[in-house]
Amino acid sequence: MIDMKNIPWCEKYRAKCFDDIRGQDLAIDKVKLFLKQFPKKKAVALHGPPGVGKTSLAYAIASETDAEVLELNASDFRNKAKIGEIIGPASRQKSLFAKSKIILIDEVDGVSAMKDRGGLAELLALLDKSAFPIIITANDIWASKFNVLRRKAEVVQLKEVDYKVVLKIMMDVCEKENVVVTGEVLKSIAIKAKGDIRAALNDLQMLSKMDNPELMKEVGDRNKEESIFSALQNVFQGAKIDDKMIRVYDEVNMPIDDIFLWVEENIPVAYKGKELSRAFEALSLADVFRGRIRRQRHWRFMVYEYFLLGAGIAGVKDYDRSGWTSYKKPSRILKIWLQNQRAAKKKTICQKYAKVCHISTKTAMKDFMLLKIILQNSEIRKQLDLSMDEIAYLDKPAS
Amino acid sequence: MATHYNSEVWTEKYRPKVFEDMVGQEEILKRVKSLVDSFNIPHLLFAGPAGVGKSTLALIIVKELFGESWRENYLELNASDERGIDVVRQKVKDFARTKALGDVPFKVIFLDEADALTREAQQALRRTMENYTSTCRFVMSCNYSSKILDPIQSRAVVLRFQLLEKKDVKKRIDLIAESEGLTISPDAFDALYESSEGDCRRIINLLQATASISPNITPDLVNTIVSKAKPSDIKIVLDYALSGDFLNSRDKLLDIMLKESISGQDVIKAIQKEVWNLPIDNSLKVRLTEKTGEAEFRLVEGSDEFIQLEALIASFILAGEGGVGSKEA
Repeated sequence: MIDMKNIPWCEKYRAKCFDDIRGQDLAIDKVKLFLKQFPKKKAVALHGPPGVGKTSLAYAIASETDAEVLELNASDFRNKAKIGEIIGPASRQKSLFAKSKIILIDEVDGVSAMKDRGGLAELLALLDKSAFPIIITANDIWASKFNVLRRKAEVVQLKEVDYKVVLKIMMDVCEKENVVVTGEVLKSIAIKAKGDIRAALNDLQMLSKMDNPELMKEVGDRNKEESIFSALQNVFQGAKIDDKMIRVYDEVNMPIDDIFLWVEENIPVAYKGKELSRAFEALSLADVFRGRIRRQRHWRFMVYEYFLLGAGIAGVKDYDRSGWTSYKKPSRILKIWLQNQRAAKKKTICQKYAKVCHISTKTAMKDFMLLKIILQNSEIRKQLDLSMDEIAYLDKPAS
Repeated sequence: MATHYNSEVWTEKYRPKVFEDMVGQEEILKRVKSLVDSFNIPHLLFAGPAGVGKSTLALIIVKELFGESWRENYLELNASDERGIDVVRQKVKDFARTKALGDVPFKVIFLDEADALTREAQQALRRTMENYTSTCRFVMSCNYSSKILDPIQSRAVVLRFQLLEKKDVKKRIDLIAESEGLTISPDAFDALYESSEGDCRRIINLLQATASISPNITPDLVNTIVSKAKPSDIKIVLDYALSGDFLNSRDKLLDIMLKESISGQDVIKAIQKEVWNLPIDNSLKVRLTEKTGEAEFRLVEGSDEFIQLEALIASFILAGEGGVGSKEA
C-alpha cells in the first residue's frame, strides 16, 4: 500500500524539470551546453555538497530530453564484472522503442579506488564507449582517485543553496502540505540546513509530525554535524593515538550524550568482529563513568569519559585504514519515537486499563500480550470505554 | 463510578475487600489493622515484590477508614506514570487543600511505585510530605526500599511484604474457580504458579486469559497461553550475534525492547537464562555468563542501558568466532 503521508517530502517535491530547480541557474546553463555539444564530451560530473540538487538535476535532464534513466549507485560498483554487465550492453544499443537513455552514476564518492578494484577503470572505459550521455554525481570531485575522470567529463559545480531559496522552497511545501509553521522556525531550519535542501525538508517533515515542541531540539544543527563528522573521521580512521586524539571532541559543539549516540551508531559502520567488540567495550566503560558522574556528581570522571570515547575507541584498530566513510546520523532516538507513535493505541488502551486496575501504565504495557486476550471480553471493553480505533487495534492479528 | 465494584477484570473483581480476605502477610495485617482501628495512621512505606498485595492493602485501609466516602478522601498516584515531581506536587496540593470529610482528620495519598522517582523528586516529595502532614497521610509502595531516600524512610513506618506462599495463592485461585465455575487440575495450578513466579496479579490474569478459551483448565491450555503471551524470543538476538551479524542483532534487540516494553534488566535476565541452552562449548558458556554478569553490573552502574546491551552482544560476536576474551583488557 502506498501511503502518500510516508513519502519523504524531499522525494515527493523533487524537482521535475529545469524550471523546478532553484538556485542553480549557472549549473543548468552549463548542463544545457553539454547536452548541445554531446558527444564532444560523453559525461557530465555534477559535484557539490549534499542536498543541493545533483540527483534532481540529473532527472530533470532526463525529463527535458525525454530520456530513460539507467541508474547506478555506489553499491553497484563492487566490481568490474557487475558494472560491465549492467550498463555495458545498454550503452551500446539503442532502446527498442527508440527512447534514448541517460546513464546516471549517483554518488560516485562511494567507489573506493582500492576495494572496488576495476570499478573506476571500467567506468572510465564506459565513458569512451557510451552512445548515451552519462551523468555522474559526486560530493568531492577533487579527490585524487577522480583525476582521470575530471579530464574526461564536463565538470559542473552546484553551489550551496542560499538560505533564502531554501526558505522559499520550504514555504511552498508548507502550503502544499497544509502545515503551519512560524516564519521564525522556518528561518532557523533554513539557516541550519546550510544549503542542504534535503536536510531542510527532512527537518521540516519531522517537525510537522511532532506535537511536542520540546522535540524541536531533536532537529539537529547542521553545523554541529560537520564538526562531529570530522571528529568521527579522526576516531575511526586515525592511525595513531596522539595529543590530537585526546582532544578529538574539543571542537564538537554538542552535549556529550549526543556524542555517545553518534559514536554508538557508527561503531558498526567503522568496525567489524574483534575491533567492534573492543570498541563497544570502551563505549560501555565510558557509559559506566557517565553513570557515576550522574549519580555521584564526581565530575573528575569526565576525563575518562572523553578519553574512552576518543582514544579508547580509536585504539582498538588491528589495521590502518584510508579512504572515505560515510557516517550515519544516530537513529535510535528516532526509532524509539516512531515506535511510540505506532504504539499510541496500545498505550491509550493500557492507560485505561491501568486506571481501573490500580497499576501503572508501564506494568500494563509489560503484560500487554496477556491483556490482549483478556480484553477480548466485550463486557470489559465496555467498562474500559475503549474507542473503535482501540478495539480495531486489539482485533488486528499480530504482525 | 460504581463500575469498579463489578468489574469483569478478575484482578479487580476478586481483589480482597477487607483484611480477612487477604492471604499471607499476617504480621503486617495485624499491625495495620490495629493502626486503622485507632483511626490514626502514620506515613507508611510498603516494600516488596509485585503482586503480593501492596495496593490491595492500601485500598482496604482507606475503605476501613472512610467507609462509603473513601473515594473523596483518597488519591492514587503512580510515580512511574506521573512525569516529574511537579505534577505530583500540584496534584497533592490540590487534593490536600480541602479538609477530609467525616470523622478522620486526614486524607490518604497512595503513591505507587515510589522507587521510580529520582533522588531530586524524592527530596521534593519529602518537603511536600512535611508541608501537608497535618491534612494528609502518605502510603507509598516500592519494590526495593533501598531506592527510597533515608529521610523519607525515617518519616514512615516501613512494612516489608513477603512473596506469597503457594498455598496462599491457591486459596485465592480456588475461590475464583468456584465462583466462575472452572475446574483446575493440580497440574494446571502448578503450571499457572510456575509461570507467574508468585505474582498474584499475574496468575489471576493468566487464569482469566486461559479461562477465556475453556473452563477446563489443563496444563496444556495454560502453556499454550503462556507461550502466546511470552515476549518475543531473545534467542534470535543471540543467534544473530553468534553468527557475526551485529547489525541485525542490534536491530532485533531494540525492536523487542520497544514492542514488548521491556527493560534492559529484563533483557539481561533473559540472556542469562538463554546462554546455557546455546549450542556452544561449556567453557564458552562460562565465559559468556561472566560477560553477562559484568554487563548486568554495568547496566546498574552506567547510564544508558542500550549501550551496555550492545556491548554484550558485541562480545557474543567474538564468541561466535571462537575468540572471546582473547584480546580485551
